[in-house]
Amino acid sequence: MRYPFWIAVLLGLVFSWPAQAVPILRVLAWPGYADSDLVKVFEKKYGVRVEVSYVSSDDVLRQKINANQGRDFDVFAANTAELQQYMDQNMLLPLRLANIPNTAQQLPRFREVHGIPGITRANAIYAVPYTYAETGLIFDRKQFKTPPSSLSVLWDPAYQGRILAFNDSKHNFSIASLLQGGNAFQIPHKNFPALVNQLVALRRNVLTFYTLPEESVALFMSRGVAVLWANYGRQQLKLLQEAHADVGYAIPREGALAWLDCWAITRGATNQTLAEQWINYMLEPQVSEALSGRQGLSNTLDAERSTQATDKIIWLEPVEDGPRRADLWNKLIAGNRPGQF
Amino acid sequence: MRYGIGFKLGLLLATFSLGAMGIVGYYAYASSRVTLLDAAQRDMLTATHVLGRSFKANIKKISDDTLMLARLPTTLQLAQEGIVTAGHQRWLADTMTAMMAVNSEYFQIRLIGAKDHGLELVRVDRADNTLLNITADELQEKAHYDYVFNTLVLKQGQIYLSDIRLNQELGSHAGLHQPTLRVATPVVDRTGKVLGLVVVNLDLNGLFDRLKSDLPEAYQLYLSNRFGDYLIHPNADQVFGFEQGRRILIQDVFEPVAGLISGEKTSMASIIAATSEAPLGLVASFVRLPFGGADDQRFVILGLTQPLQTIVESTQQAGLTMLRMIVALAALALLLAALVSRAVTGRLKPMVQAMALFSRTQVVTLLPYHRQDEIGLLACSLNDMQATVVATLKALNESQKNLKHLAQHDSLTGLPNRALFEDRLQQATAQTRRAQSHVALLFFDLDGFKSMNDRYGHHVGDLLLKEVARRIRDCVRTADTVGRLGGDEFVVLLSYVAHAQDAMRVAEKICIALHQPLALDDQQLVIAASIGVAICPEHGHDAQTLSQHADAAMYQAKAAGGNQVRLFGV
Repeated sequence: MRYPFWIAVLLGLVFSWPAQAVPILRVLAWPGYADSDLVKVFEKKYGVRVEVSYVSSDDVLRQKINANQGRDFDVFAANTAELQQYMDQNMLLPLRLANIPNTAQQLPRFREVHGIPGITRANAIYAVPYTYAETGLIFDRKQFKTPPSSLSVLWDPAYQGRILAFNDSKHNFSIASLLQGGNAFQIPHKNFPALVNQLVALRRNVLTFYTLPEESVALFMSRGVAVLWANYGRQQLKLLQEAHADVGYAIPREGALAWLDCWAITRGATNQTLAEQWINYMLEPQVSEALSGRQGLSNTLDAERSTQATDKIIWLEPVEDGPRRADLWNKLIAGNRPGQF
Repeated sequence: MRYGIGFKLGLLLATFSLGAMGIVGYYAYASSRVTLLDAAQRDMLTATHVLGRSFKANIKKISDDTLMLARLPTTLQLAQEGIVTAGHQRWLADTMTAMMAVNSEYFQIRLIGAKDHGLELVRVDRADNTLLNITADELQEKAHYDYVFNTLVLKQGQIYLSDIRLNQELGSHAGLHQPTLRVATPVVDRTGKVLGLVVVNLDLNGLFDRLKSDLPEAYQLYLSNRFGDYLIHPNADQVFGFEQGRRILIQDVFEPVAGLISGEKTSMASIIAATSEAPLGLVASFVRLPFGGADDQRFVILGLTQPLQTIVESTQQAGLTMLRMIVALAALALLLAALVSRAVTGRLKPMVQAMALFSRTQVVTLLPYHRQDEIGLLACSLNDMQATVVATLKALNESQKNLKHLAQHDSLTGLPNRALFEDRLQQATAQTRRAQSHVALLFFDLDGFKSMNDRYGHHVGDLLLKEVARRIRDCVRTADTVGRLGGDEFVVLLSYVAHAQDAMRVAEKICIALHQPLALDDQQLVIAASIGVAICPEHGHDAQTLSQHADAAMYQAKAAGGNQVRLFGV
């Protein structure tokens, strides 16, 4: 009578035993960063189980990491502007680069970690760059004999009504500041009136401010657009090329803003070594190339796909006063005339 | 046999009728469910088409308003010259205000110039409860908006419909952050030069709230743009996700809508699998509505859904009615089954009783045989069988009686044979012991019978023996027994003899009778007999002793010359 019960208990123990014994790595990533086929290879190689959760926005990422003091995940990917606040909150573990030997294969731009704001603090490294996208200029080859070299092309009256800019408060103030030789992320209070006027001039010169990449492609194709400030970078370039647009891509000399997603390990990680092995695996050439091939994003290993070493890339940082920029931008986009801010 | 044939027959009939009823009921229910679902889908689709047509009719009406404003001479003058006099501006603003007063779904009406980066010339905004004429510094530059640069390239009389977006234009009062459709038309001078545009901002939610008010309560409305982004959704959190950089797409929830978005179909109705809001699923219909100019490929997807619950409830009602009918019919079927089984077994029962009686007593009961069916046939057969059995039994009794007679009598003379005679002798001797009476046993032997037999043949011998038997029988009472023990040995048992002399008298009488000549085959024969007599109980108490003594007396008579009678012991 009692045998079935004990057999069930025994079977339960037998089947649950391996599951308990296998170490688990909890990964929080963006869609496309940890495709299941790549994850399986890692699981097999290290004899572990990987649980991948996905996020679709910075806000959700912040929410998930903060939810349980970072104890819900071992390793996650976030951009440089976001990483700063995790460091402020002391949520990250310093990385032991010796455990991540593939960092040696990265392009020099990414090896010089102290040149990247937001991933180091007090000589400790907290994140390893993984993928990035820069906001270059996409131009119509027929309308440009030589590629535009400066952001000033957006203000060039020669192209009035044939320019596409992006509808975003932070970035537009950043590029206006860059054009004036200022810092993209720390704009002094006194500079704002001039920047507002600069952006009114931009508004008067553009066709429109787009929001979605598809929207920009449709306008580019139908409106004879000459130049486009590409918030979505090479992804947007790829879309236009697929639409058979004769387009080129340029990094302006003032610099291209770029988001840079890095892998970081939470302070609540249960197995730091395994998390470091994961980061190292992400930097394997075949894994990083899969990311570029499938998602159209640049990786940190491949010189051919990425920007030239001479290109000026400005990694995103938190801005001095987001709400102020947003407030001014809302008035700008609504069409307020100079003096009405 | 615990269950009778009636029970079994009834059970069979009841099972069959219940089964048939169940199957019919189930299929009727299923098909009514399918019919209702189909009807619901058709209704939904019709409602969606009607809603789409109303939407288009409303757009047409707004377009007409816009065209009318664009053709006003004051509009043309303002667009041409800018705001020269406040009077013109005020007059057009009053006209727009009047139009907005009667059209509560208009958020805003504007005249925008082509010059000065799309500076607004006249603008009336809807604020909380009033209509505001916006002037001077509050007027904004709008040239970078799609509805401006797309309308400025149109010809007179053409209409531009913007994509439906949240109005993010700061300062637009009640319309700010509201789902808005902009209907615009160019203001064109006599030479065909586009001087500006008139644009009406339409309150999309207000319009659809009005359109939806004609529909049943349970219907829910969905609207998406050509990419599938929700514009209207019962849950307000689901709309305009793309304005915040997150895409919430209709085809992710209602997969068949993908076919409308890709253009494979223009309308569809289907059952959508269960969701958390509608645990039984939804009936949904969607229509692809071309939107904007004829040459631009834009469209919106308009959809209505209805929880399956509401339809299933009516199906269940129909199912319940059907169930009641089935129960009633089943009861009827049971009754019918009972009646049928009774009718069959009711006629069988008397036959069973008659057969039982017949087998017990062989009394024949005539069964009713006038029916023309199997039961009548059975009754007929049973009647025949009873008659046959009775006749056979009678014959059997007869032959048994004959056999018994043959076993106990001599076949030649018909007299009791040795077995029967000895039996009777034993009974008689036993009786004398109880009744204190006497019996006499007479043994006969025919003198010279063997030589007569040899001389005249067996045939004559047999006739002789028969004659002897007849003569002996004639000389005794019926209560006495005459027997033939074999050959020429005859015996007589005289019962209730008072004295030995009585027995002797009878024996003398027989002796004389036998000695009478008899004519056989023209022969005159004379025979004689030697007779020995023994009386019970004087000469023996039992049959054996008595027989021996009678036999001995007979031998004495024969030894004394025959044709005489001797009493034992004399």
